[in-house]
Amino acid sequence: MGIRRRSGGFVLSINPILCDGFGHCGELAPDLVHMDEWGYPIITTVPVPLSNLAALESARYAVRGCPRQALRIDRVADPS
Amino acid sequence: MIALTSPYLWYSTRATGMVTMVLFTIVVALGTFVANRIGGTIIGRFEINELHRSVSIIAVVFLAIHVVTTIADSYVPTGFISVFVPMTSEYKRVAVGLGAVALDLILAVWISSLLKVRIANTTWRFIHWFSWLGFATSIVHAFLTGTDGRKGWGLILIVVCSSVVFASAVWRYLGRPTRAAGRTALSPLAPQSDAARSGRPTGQRLGASSAPSKGPSPTPSRPTSAPFPRSPQSPVKKRRSR
Repeated sequence: MGIRRRSGGFVLSINPILCDGFGHCGELAPDLVHMDEWGYPIITTVPVPLSNLAALESARYAVRGCPRQALRIDRVADPS
Repeated sequence: MIALTSPYLWYSTRATGMVTMVLFTIVVALGTFVANRIGGTIIGRFEINELHRSVSIIAVVFLAIHVVTTIADSYVPTGFISVFVPMTSEYKRVAVGLGAVALDLILAVWISSLLKVRIANTTWRFIHWFSWLGFATSIVHAFLTGTDGRKGWGLILIVVCSSVVFASAVWRYLGRPTRAAGRTALSPLAPQSDAARSGRPTGQRLGASSAPSKGPSPTPSRPTSAPFPRSPQSPVKKRRSR
């Protein structure tokens, strides 16, 4: 894992149809998600580099912790 | 090795049956907590969810011990088939059969949860509703089959567990928020993760991407018109997780 060069980035993307506003993602990935006043997530659309392991880990926690499975991690190419 | 004719397997069956009942009561109550959006201030909502998942694994393990010791024990005539197929036990046909129904329902809920990332979420939810039926069946099974469930503290335990689950069901029905129930005040990862970020000043959050950021942004901000990108520019690898 350490040998493979981590290039590119990821975005945490949400399926708003599935989202029921449980708020778990806002607790698990507070750097990527912030909640609107009704408790629905507003997720940053700016790609985060994969080298930001803490952000990637919190995004994985958010995907795993979503009760409606409305989240996924999309990988994007290296932002130029 | 314990001889199969010794009473210890039978004792194990009785004891693990009661422990399983208490554990599944806790699991159902915690699941109701998650569904009713409890938490977010003192304890995180995600923590209750994790607790619900963890305790359910322990409960399934105790259920497995309960079932295996029942099969292995020769004190009462129940076969391997009667564990899964109702009404095939020689011993207490109806009562053990209800236990088989409960086991099948709990297995369905458990396996569907293990396959949660593979199946549609609506399917998982539909199967998850059967946990109520599974608990109701198992509590009747506990009362009818249980050697200790007719009197004394065993009966008290059954009454307490069924009351807790019944109250959870009523609360689930009446107190369910329509969809979102407000934002949570708790972000336990926020204070340390802000400080742990290298090269990013504290207080700047990636979530506030719409606001103009002052610090060194991880990427040059590109105009993002869509609220969530369906197809990010030149995706290297796309993971379907539906």
